Amino acid sequence: MDRALFAAASGMAAQQRNLDTIADNLANAGVIGFKGSVASFAQLVLPGGGGQGTVALGSHVLFGQGKLARTAGPFDLAIDGPGFFEVVDAHGRRAYTRDGQFSRAADGTLRNALDYRLAGVRIPAGALSASVDENGTVRAVFPAGSRAIGRIALAQFPSPDHLRAIDGAIFAATPAAGKVETAGAGSPDGPKIRFGMLEESNVTIVDAMMQILTAQRAYEANAKGVQAADEMLRIANNLQRG
Amino acid sequence: MDGIGWAASAMVAARTRLEIATENLANVSTDAFRRVEARSFLTARGVAIERTSRGGGALHHTGRDLDFAIVGDGSFKVRDAGGHISETRAGAFVRESDGTLRDLRGRAVLGLHGSLRVPAGASIDAREFALPPGSRVQNGFLEGPAVDAISEMVDVLAAERSFESAQKAVAAIDAIRGKSAEAARVK
Repeated sequence: MDRALFAAASGMAAQQRNLDTIADNLANAGVIGFKGSVASFAQLVLPGGGGQGTVALGSHVLFGQGKLARTAGPFDLAIDGPGFFEVVDAHGRRAYTRDGQFSRAADGTLRNALDYRLAGVRIPAGALSASVDENGTVRAVFPAGSRAIGRIALAQFPSPDHLRAIDGAIFAATPAAGKVETAGAGSPDGPKIRFGMLEESNVTIVDAMMQILTAQRAYEANAKGVQAADEMLRIANNLQRG
Repeated sequence: MDGIGWAASAMVAARTRLEIATENLANVSTDAFRRVEARSFLTARGVAIERTSRGGGALHHTGRDLDFAIVGDGSFKVRDAGGHISETRAGAFVRESDGTLRDLRGRAVLGLHGSLRVPAGASIDAREFALPPGSRVQNGFLEGPAVDAISEMVDVLAAERSFESAQKAVAAIDAIRGKSAEAARVK
């Protein structure tokens, strides 16, 4: 029964991890640019063969494209294809995100709600408005006409699976993710930048709800396994003549 | 074999059935896990359990470019840090920054010529996996677990009850023997 008890307990722990991941996805389902994660498990096999329950392998982010939605924000950007916007925080640290909700700050930089600024772009003081085309070129409109003032580059990683999520839709580079490469958008089969659009999270609420229900039931089933193993130990102990 | 022996073997068999059912239940979210089926049969030494396993889980769509499911027989070959090569059908892989492909346990995925290296942006040639003829890989899919939580729960309960009955039988036989021993002493 010890083996059964251990296997069932490992199953409960696994479903707990699974629930944590799904709950995090669900909580961020409305966050622009958020990428859902999935927890993975493997059977724990003893050296001599034979299973010993399950073990969590951690979770990995699913970088699939979210739906693009037209928006009314002053400087909303979305990436259609792979890649990240490179943003810089107040301490100069670089981070990567697909959340393109920027607005023009007093100093001309484009900043998001968490006060990260978009790297490489500064709108001159005299500009009336600005727009971005598919390949990332930023054009500012002046009273005298419009001209290009910079280009938004997209960051790519050799191993995006190793990026570290720091806050909702924002990721930090890690040594394992490899050397970041920034490149312009807009090549025929490469990523494109969409101005006036945002990328919704790639989490579907209905799917996440279904996953939660399944994980909850699996948790309960494993709890029943623990109970049954415990009950059988009790029955076995009753064999002793009183 | 005497009555207690038979009943005790039934208790052991029920314990084995519980172990198998909880093992299956624990892996209800494990990709490519195949449930173990417990079949009990009677031998000259009591009840014995045979473990069989068949049939993989259904493929589910993930849309991830490094997820692979095998349609048909065969498996992916992976090598751990100690050089030990094993086989798996769980095809969720991660590309390292140098292009090396690893599975989620950190084992290097092997192709035709040693560990597979895939440059960023390149796709993987399915022939590298050296699957048997007739099998193919489906990219963007994973093989789910072949376990049904409800039927395993039923097995857990059945094992518990069968264990209880066998224990009752052992206790009853034990009580009868106790009585006979007592009667013998009285004479």
